[in-house]
Amino acid sequence: MNSAKANILAKLKMQLPAATDAALPAEPAAAPEVRSPAQNVEQFVRLLTDNHAEVMRIKRAEIAASVKTLLQQRDINQLMCGSGWVDALQEIEGEISLNTFYPSIDGNKDTLFNSVPAAITGSRCAIAATGSIVLWPDASEPRSLSLVPPLHIVVVEQSAIYNDFGELIRKQRWSEQLPTNAVLISGPSKTADIQQTLAYGAHGPRELVVLLVE
Amino acid sequence: MNTRANTIATDGSKYEASARQFRGNVARDLANPQLRENFRGAMDYLTDKRRQAFPSEDELETLRRKCQLIKQRCLLKLPELLEQLESKLEQNGIQVHWAETTAEANTIIAELIQRKNGTKVVKGKSMVSEETALNDHLQAQGIECLETDMGEYIVQMAGEHPSHIIMPAIHQNKSQVADLFAHNIPGFDYTTDVDTLIRTGRQALRDKFCHADVGVTGVNFAVAETGTLCLVENEGNGRMVSTVPEMHIAITGIEKVVELLDDVPPLLSLLTRSATGQIISTYFNMITHPRREGEKDGPKEVHLVLLDNGRSQAFADEELRQTLQCIRCGACMNHCPVYTRIGGHAYGTVYPGPIGKIVSPHMLGLEATKDLPTASSLCGACGEVCPVKIPIPKILLRLRKESVKAKGEPLVVKGQGCNRKPLEAGIWKLWSRLNTSPVIYAIAMWLASRGRWLTPAKAGAWTRVRTLPKPARRPLRELVKQREQRREGQ
Amino acid sequence: MPALPLASAKRHTSKRVYPPKPAQVYLFGTCLADTLFPQSGLDAIELLERQGLEVLFPQGQSCCGQPAYNSGYEDEARVVARHQIKQFPLDIPIVVISGSCGGMLRHHYLDMLKHDNDLEVAAFCERIFEFTEFLTCVLEVKLQDQGAPERVALHTSCAARREMDVHITGKALLEQLGQVELVEHDYISECCGFGGTFAVKHGDISGAMVQDKVKHLLATDAVRYVSADWGCMMNINGALEYQQEAFRGEHIASYLLRRTRGDNA
Ligand code: SF4
Repeated sequence: MNSAKANILAKLKMQLPAATDAALPAEPAAAPEVRSPAQNVEQFVRLLTDNHAEVMRIKRAEIAASVKTLLQQRDINQLMCGSGWVDALQEIEGEISLNTFYPSIDGNKDTLFNSVPAAITGSRCAIAATGSIVLWPDASEPRSLSLVPPLHIVVVEQSAIYNDFGELIRKQRWSEQLPTNAVLISGPSKTADIQQTLAYGAHGPRELVVLLVE
Repeated sequence: MNTRANTIATDGSKYEASARQFRGNVARDLANPQLRENFRGAMDYLTDKRRQAFPSEDELETLRRKCQLIKQRCLLKLPELLEQLESKLEQNGIQVHWAETTAEANTIIAELIQRKNGTKVVKGKSMVSEETALNDHLQAQGIECLETDMGEYIVQMAGEHPSHIIMPAIHQNKSQVADLFAHNIPGFDYTTDVDTLIRTGRQALRDKFCHADVGVTGVNFAVAETGTLCLVENEGNGRMVSTVPEMHIAITGIEKVVELLDDVPPLLSLLTRSATGQIISTYFNMITHPRREGEKDGPKEVHLVLLDNGRSQAFADEELRQTLQCIRCGACMNHCPVYTRIGGHAYGTVYPGPIGKIVSPHMLGLEATKDLPTASSLCGACGEVCPVKIPIPKILLRLRKESVKAKGEPLVVKGQGCNRKPLEAGIWKLWSRLNTSPVIYAIAMWLASRGRWLTPAKAGAWTRVRTLPKPARRPLRELVKQREQRREGQ
Repeated sequence: MPALPLASAKRHTSKRVYPPKPAQVYLFGTCLADTLFPQSGLDAIELLERQGLEVLFPQGQSCCGQPAYNSGYEDEARVVARHQIKQFPLDIPIVVISGSCGGMLRHHYLDMLKHDNDLEVAAFCERIFEFTEFLTCVLEVKLQDQGAPERVALHTSCAARREMDVHITGKALLEQLGQVELVEHDYISECCGFGGTFAVKHGDISGAMVQDKVKHLLATDAVRYVSADWGCMMNINGALEYQQEAFRGEHIASYLLRRTRGDNA
């Protein structure tokens, strides 16, 4: 054991009788807000919209067409996606050039930062209480897809909206296994660091478009 | 190591000197109307936001109680949780380093960077790295260390320190930022439009993320159960610096460990709502592994530096230990009438405001920070809003007590007894005699009322903005007695 | 003026069970009123007597000990605290005409004397009532306003507000006065900057605070402000006088007595 560790732990241990859970005061359970699934959807949409995200409620079959329209509205003609999206988005190819992520970010940072205007990702689930989208990036959908390009399009399944973060963690047993990186996204990147004035697109995506699939 | 060759220390001890200047700083900043206006405006904004984020007082109270108990439980188990955290993190492939002092932490970080031949570091917001003066240290080693949080970026450009733990550049208004950019960013077209200012910063920093060797961040919660580092942020720079460079180094205080993943949601909810009134931050980033086999991005190496820097001293005392419950939301400073008046820089410490007054003595010693505990009217606004219910006013009282302790008492806080002056101690002894002896007290009252014409017109700081009242012609006790006698006579 | 915050009023009343109206009470006059502002003590006594109570004023009482306690001289404060407890031996309420002294006697004595005979200290603390709290919650007074219409502001000391909930009871009393309109000044809950030795040790910060408090009070169209705490009033009135303003604060005991007796200002 290195000495800093030993010293710190020794100082801390000197002060304490071993804590037993039984001796600790009971922690009150915060009463969760009760919402129906429909109300969850409504709250999710409202909070995200309040946070400056654009939410489009669509049917599964409309994903590709919606992507195409929203890119064309923004004069964007290329889209980066994870490998899992290539088939589903095939119909937009031709008008929009579809690229999958590089074999590795190493050596490709310059192009990623400077030449990718938009990316699309899926999501693991979502949270109504805070209007958050939950991503577990992986090899097919790397972390920087939802971070570096200025426009992030994210597909969320309406059926995967949980009531709140605590419930989600327990139901999905997150404590047993977490990915390299899990991230909750609740709007486009923003800052109020200059005179408390809100500005979007600080470092992450300036725009967040949520395709909420029924 | 050559850091001591410079006259300015490149570790946390550099704040000892600035904390000693408290009184001078206060005088300087109180006399700056622009600064006072900036702070008042910012505090009004933040307190208002917070108020709106807690529509139900009952819900707020339940949640505060819950989070207070969570943090107390985690502190009671602190040594075992730290060991659990370390072993979990190492199982996950994240390397853990321990530092007792700020200098040790800086050395660890510099060596990690140098081992990678790194010369360019990008930093996410980390008050602990301010605590260690990491930027100074790395720069002295020839490593560029760039702040990327917009507020921190501005502050670094201005050669200043953060004046607030959540909103580092709160002391500047947009025209001051525009002036700063005009002086420092070539080709910047002068404007006070905030969107343009932010876009300018974004542009400058994107290139830096792209080419950095190492990213440094703080940590909001370190989860022992899963070995997970959690980061709360809005801008995305924290994600950038922990995703894009090949190495990510996180640094945090030992009190940031929580036992269970289940502890995180309530703490997160209280943190963002207390800090900026947001029900959640734009990003909540949970890091559990370095880049794994087959993954295409993310740092290949992740390190965590656990810093003590005086925390174990606070930990040793049951009352002072509550200081470590802090989740660094900034609500106490937002509601503090003293902070609102003097701003964050006057304190001379890394952490300003009420939390700064109670935590800095452990980091810098009570002697260097001896003016901080007394610089409070004990109005209680901080304790009322603190999400983890730290009794800040009581801890201030406790530190006052420590600072006037007589010599030879057992050591609780380094530098204790620093404010003890024989004359003052003698006066309080006398005062206590006076107030426990009815005869002497009555004589004193008699003298004061009969000698009221002796009341001076000037009495130090009091009469600089106020008049001094004269003792009444007759004290209450005499008037009451007369009244009773009159009645009996009737 | 927004309605009485019911949630906190409820929280407040649920925190404390009030005794029935007693026949006798003690008055804790506080050292400030004793030395500097005795009329407010006499007025408080008269108000209580008009409610049919006998008021006892132990001549042995002095200061609650707050100045030493807040300066870190706890041992010295403790001796004084024990002395006060001895001066009030009967098991009757002790009414305190200053919120911050009330907070000291009711809450801090418990901390400071936790190694003494707990029962005796706890029983003493339980008998402590801030003046407006006592009028409102124990006596449930009904006030008949005899004065002319006027607007007043209310300043509540921080200790009174946060430890004793006086912003609720003080307001409730003033609202009973039919001709008095309560106006709320900006930053109403913000500290006036007194803080005892703070005002001397950090005079410039304290000074900046009281100047703001005065500014916000003067910005209202109130003719005076009312308070239940002489510490704050000495500070605020001192600053008002220094600025040669005619506007002043009046202790709530004097104000209530004057209004219900129909005296002129
Ligand atoms: S002391 Fe409390 S209010 Fe202040 S920063 Fe820490 S958690 Fe927030």
